[in-house]
Amino acid sequence: MTAVLVIEDDDRIRLALLLALEEEGYTAYGAASAEEGLRRQRQDPADNVLVDLMLPGLDGFDCIRQLRRDDDVPIVVVSARDDTHDIVAALEAGADDYLVKPVAIKELSARLRALRRRGRAVVTSTAVQVFGDLEISADAGEVRRAGRPVAVTRTEFRLLCELAQHAGKVLSRQQLLQRVWGYDTGDERLVDVHVGRLRQKIEEDPGNPRYLVTLRGLGYKLQR
Amino acid sequence: MNRLGLRARVTAAFAIGALLLAAAMALFSYDLTRRSLLDERERAAIRAAHFDAAVVRAGLDTDTPDVAEVLRSLDTGSARRPLLQRDGRWYARTAEIGASSVPPELQRMVRSGEPAVQRIRTDGQPALLVGVPLSPTTSYYELTSLREVEQTFQLVGLTLTAVAIMVAGSGAALGWYATRHSLRPLTAVADAAERIAAGDLSTRLDPATDPDLTRLSTSFNRMVEQLIRHIERDRRFAADVSHELRSPLQTLAAAASVLDRRREHHDERTATAAGLVADEIARFQRLVDDLIELARTEQPVHRERVDVEALARDACRTHGLPDELVRSAPAGGEWLVDRRRVAQILLNLVENAVRYAGGPVEVRLACDDEGTGIIEVDDDGPGVPAPDREVIFARFVRGRAAHARAGTDGTGLGLALVAGHAAMHGGRATVTDRPEGGARFRVELPGCLP
Repeated sequence: MTAVLVIEDDDRIRLALLLALEEEGYTAYGAASAEEGLRRQRQDPADNVLVDLMLPGLDGFDCIRQLRRDDDVPIVVVSARDDTHDIVAALEAGADDYLVKPVAIKELSARLRALRRRGRAVVTSTAVQVFGDLEISADAGEVRRAGRPVAVTRTEFRLLCELAQHAGKVLSRQQLLQRVWGYDTGDERLVDVHVGRLRQKIEEDPGNPRYLVTLRGLGYKLQR
Repeated sequence: MNRLGLRARVTAAFAIGALLLAAAMALFSYDLTRRSLLDERERAAIRAAHFDAAVVRAGLDTDTPDVAEVLRSLDTGSARRPLLQRDGRWYARTAEIGASSVPPELQRMVRSGEPAVQRIRTDGQPALLVGVPLSPTTSYYELTSLREVEQTFQLVGLTLTAVAIMVAGSGAALGWYATRHSLRPLTAVADAAERIAAGDLSTRLDPATDPDLTRLSTSFNRMVEQLIRHIERDRRFAADVSHELRSPLQTLAAAASVLDRRREHHDERTATAAGLVADEIARFQRLVDDLIELARTEQPVHRERVDVEALARDACRTHGLPDELVRSAPAGGEWLVDRRRVAQILLNLVENAVRYAGGPVEVRLACDDEGTGIIEVDDDGPGVPAPDREVIFARFVRGRAAHARAGTDGTGLGLALVAGHAAMHGGRATVTDRPEGGARFRVELPGCLP
């Protein structure tokens, strides 16, 4: 059974989401605040976390950052806010996906399934791929830069592996959405923000990337 | 009536003013020159005539004077021609002049003992005729040609006319230049207004550039601030409304999905009621989304490089259609537009075709030479009758076909949003007949990269 933690301050929304998720076959827990959610996740980690952005006390963005500090658990933001600014900020804080309320439960369930698939080991042809001082070990689920391990989330790792598998070839944002996120259609900003985050971790100068380059109008490419 | 622009009028006024001034100056100086030149010439001619007359008188003062010889001995050059009347007979050095050259009144005056001067024309040339009485029966006349003076006048006249024309031209140029300078602040205001209309709300006028224009700049800037406050208030209101409406909808959607899951546990009546609730929640959700979107239509457009072709394919896939429906001209890929709005234009047009015409048959993207991106969505449905083609883009209006085919399923806002987003890009949305039958929805968006 997949456990989902729902961090949502509105009691009725939380209750309805828990009921609906349980109906879909998940084990669902609720938390009315970020603090409670973080405590709960430390004691009894869930497989997925749903977070609202507007929370009393610690807000959703800080909550995502704190969750990310300890863990690479898939985080999905479910918020009534749909400003580009909020979406990008939440993804940059470390969320894997962003959904705007009201979310249809079928859609939410599909996204969670896609995230779970991403969590499983990625099958690649070669065990370790080397790009300059960058080493990607698909089997071990490890990324090393200049010999030192780099902490990446599952989504970032999956994205890196997908690009490494097609090293030197361009992948469009839509292709990446399909292969990494498992979405037939989706928000291309998801890809852009994750690429940006990945660059922060693997590039010496993220503003002037050496490995993960953008091809304007086409997509992204990982080059040696 | 097409009135002349301010600049053209000022320029014309400058030109006319300069022309009048220059013409007056030219006429005055022409007149002055002419008069003084003529006077001097006249005085010289009279002096010379009197001198010659004295010589003639001395020559005739013998017993048997040879009149012709006396006249021939005069040193007159080619400009002065002597003529003598003695005892009713006329003597001249050449045959061209004679009694007919001297007007009768002048002859009378001279015969009565008075020297006289008259301006005449001989052989079409201006000349000065000076008459000097020598004795009661002898009159001496001298004809001085004024041709050279006349030629000088013509040259002076021509020069002055040319100068007047040049001055008028310079006046026009000055007017053009001066208006360009004085209208520059207006141009700056127009540029700023255009930038603001295009969505750049950080545009301000610098009030320090010209003390005379401080008030214009200050009030313009104040207007922009006010505009920003309005936009911000609207944005916040839309965001608040959005939040307040979406939160309970989330509860409803989740609860409805539980009811839906447990359908088989309900009796028929409860299941029907639960189905109605779920359907209406879905419709309400679409309506809320569209209303929020409509409230945001007036927000500034955020242009960025957008792969419109990918968005179009996305829109097709969202409605479960093959993305091969999208046909893009070679340059149709990347446009400088607002991603969210263009995505919605495409989604709504495709949805419109799906809902009312059984789906689009083609989604075309093109870019014309002026940099206007063109989106065309064709369907082979019933088409839109001519009288409905304007009104179909208004809020809460559904076409006649819509009532017949899809009942009340749509929100009635989809095409209004399309038109709103197009207008905010400085473009427009229209619908025509597709030549092969059906409707052709066309959206023009300035901002593609040809």
